[in-house]
Amino acid sequence: MAGKFNPDLHLDITGFGGKDIDMCMNCGTCTTICPMSEDSGGGFPRRVIRLIQTGQQSKLEETLDPWLCYYCGDCTTNCPRQANPAETMMASRRYLTARYDFTGLAKLFYKSAVAEILAIILVGLFVTGLFVAFHGPMVLNKVELNTFAPVHAVELGDWIMAAVLSFFLLAGAARMTWWTLGRKKMFRISPLIFIQQIPVFFVHLFTQKRWKKCGSHHSGIRWMKHLLLVSGYLSMLTLVLILLRWFQTDKIYPFYYPQRLWGYYATIALLYPTVDFMISRWRRKEPIHLFSEASDWIFLVMLFLTALTGIMVNIFRVGGLPMATYLIYVIHLSIAVPMLVVEVPFSKWSHIMYRPLSIYLYGVKQAATRANRAADEPASEKVAA
Amino acid sequence: MIATADNERHKDAVIIGGGIAGLQSALDLADQGYKVAVVERQASIGGRMISLSKVYPTLDCASCITTPKMSAAAHHENIELLTYTEVDSITPGPNGHTVVVTRKATHVNADKCIGCRLCEYACDTEYPDDFEQGLGSVRAISVAFTNAIPQKAVLDADYCLACGLCLRACPTDAIEFDQQPRQETIHADVVIVASGFQLNALTIKPQYSAAQNQNVISPLTLERLLAPHGPYGRVLRPSDGKIPESIAFVQCAGSRDQSIGVPYCSRVCCMYAIKQAMLLSGSLPTADITIYYMDIRAFGKGYEQFYQNAKAMGINFVRGKVSKIDSVDKDDLLVHVEYTEEPQDCVRKQRHDMVVLAQGMIPQWNPTSFSPVQIGSDGFVATPDSVSPCTTNVPGIFVAGAAAGPKDIVDSIAEAGAAAMEAGRYLSKRAHLDHTARTVALELIA
Repeated sequence: MAGKFNPDLHLDITGFGGKDIDMCMNCGTCTTICPMSEDSGGGFPRRVIRLIQTGQQSKLEETLDPWLCYYCGDCTTNCPRQANPAETMMASRRYLTARYDFTGLAKLFYKSAVAEILAIILVGLFVTGLFVAFHGPMVLNKVELNTFAPVHAVELGDWIMAAVLSFFLLAGAARMTWWTLGRKKMFRISPLIFIQQIPVFFVHLFTQKRWKKCGSHHSGIRWMKHLLLVSGYLSMLTLVLILLRWFQTDKIYPFYYPQRLWGYYATIALLYPTVDFMISRWRRKEPIHLFSEASDWIFLVMLFLTALTGIMVNIFRVGGLPMATYLIYVIHLSIAVPMLVVEVPFSKWSHIMYRPLSIYLYGVKQAATRANRAADEPASEKVAA
Repeated sequence: MIATADNERHKDAVIIGGGIAGLQSALDLADQGYKVAVVERQASIGGRMISLSKVYPTLDCASCITTPKMSAAAHHENIELLTYTEVDSITPGPNGHTVVVTRKATHVNADKCIGCRLCEYACDTEYPDDFEQGLGSVRAISVAFTNAIPQKAVLDADYCLACGLCLRACPTDAIEFDQQPRQETIHADVVIVASGFQLNALTIKPQYSAAQNQNVISPLTLERLLAPHGPYGRVLRPSDGKIPESIAFVQCAGSRDQSIGVPYCSRVCCMYAIKQAMLLSGSLPTADITIYYMDIRAFGKGYEQFYQNAKAMGINFVRGKVSKIDSVDKDDLLVHVEYTEEPQDCVRKQRHDMVVLAQGMIPQWNPTSFSPVQIGSDGFVATPDSVSPCTTNVPGIFVAGAAAGPKDIVDSIAEAGAAAMEAGRYLSKRAHLDHTARTVALELIA
């Protein structure tokens, strides 16, 4: 029973959106219902709730189990105590995200919507300020976006931002790895295993294929919508981070040229799922959308606005409206940048790292266990002989 | 005060329910000299307890300890039994309560019937026996069960073909095909509600999809299977008569479950499951018996020891609530459960020949529509005064046993005694007031 004990852990998790955690009688109905449970080696999700109820904070931080859950809601539907295990798993993921983040900002943003909105506004104003101070000449007789906002300067900003965000996200990933693999045991795992398992990370980053195993409630459809969203997001990331010089041009290519087509695809892939998810959350159509925290809404709204303003830049540019293009471009970046800065390392978006990483770490753990067992067997035979 | 007609009478107390609690209250009041009427909707008094095989934790034979009480009540000069009778209304008034009851038609003249059962032997129409939980069959005219009290035949008009075989068999011409139900009024100073409980449906949880399977049985059915004079005289599973080799008890199958509207604990299931498991291991020594439970609530006197004995006997206790039950190969059952105390591979599917669902206890009777008695959020009669647990919201109406909430036999009997005590105190206070009023009036006249 080593590790940190926190008698108020269940209150902490309630602060992150947990519901009725105290109602749970640990009957195990959820475990039996949950199709992901066998991957946990036993007891998921009941044991996570047990850890919370008994205040075993260290053990909760050391477990990857909450990341198994894709929220089909079957456990909540079947729970005889209406203790809402699915929402407890969701809240645990928020809690863990906050714990992985060493700055404390994630905790602040999850617990206070005001703080999160304020941070977004501040970063947004900062970006607007940068444009007000340093924008290039505004050509008004035709659209010259690259004169107003030179692509190499924007690209530089992109890369600075990417570096900063990656730093925080990787720091969180490091803490997650450090805790879950065992703070000391980690070094006993062969580096080869870490390398061998790397493909697992990318397979799950790009496909989220484990989701398909999840329970009964339209999981397949939700997985496809999510996959569409991910493809849109990754497309946009590629276009604005790596291919910006090719994407942000003043020459207007015919619409079937790849930089335009890809952009349109990405826009639709962002807009359709975000609108769909917002409607579902509003109407509480699916179990996962029964309870919405402020962080869920902020994430969806910001993503939607980013895609919307992005496509408006395109419309005004193609439509030949110089002033409108410049204005909406500034607005677009004043939404996109704060969204990325706040959401990616410190809020909901961090799951782009933690979700595949958790599957990767599971893989590492299992491979290490197998390797240890293989190493132990000959030794025990020798003893027997 | 004075009965004016045949269908109107005065009693000191009316007890609603002739189960163990009602009988205890009736006996306690009658022994103090009060005139008591016991209203019972079934053809015999004895309630649930008379249908049980044995009682925990002493393993006394239930019939052997219930029958003397039934008999004592039946022979008590101060007790009148109104069996096969339903309560229509209870109306409180300044001079006590007016209880209107309907004596359902038994189609047998109770004064003439001598309980010889010749009608039952003559009858050739059979239907499933409620007393045996539908396992055995019973004739359309019959005495309710072997040790029923009163030993009077009852004709079930729903099944009777009016063939007249019984008419010819009856030596006392007791059978009256044209008997009609009749309403009677009882004026009583106090009423004790001892209307008991029923179990919620086996099929109440959609997750237990196999509950339709004949081999998923009610604990009351198992009581009959275990009773020496039960339907088969031995334990066989209902679907095919196989001697079950593996029996599962699924606890909390109808209680402690918000999703089916019974959030409370039924309090008796742990103990009767343990008792039944013990009895089963006596009658089926080679069978595997598993009890799936959330926690064992062995709170009464001698209960914990009883539980420990069961564990020592080799009954398999598994901590985990069964989440699903499926049928396999038509007759067998598969329970899905997490072995919550196992570190690895804890989710298992176990196959059993027979499954006993611990159904939840819910009230048998809801008096709110025809009486001022209020019920609590759980549906049981409300007892607003926490230091007087037998009193309802109406002065002079008391409650005893499982009518007030899930309760086992020992607690029901204790509470029935307490209710009788409260009722007796209320009655003597009224008598005293009456006396004082009369004295004052006499003085005024003088």
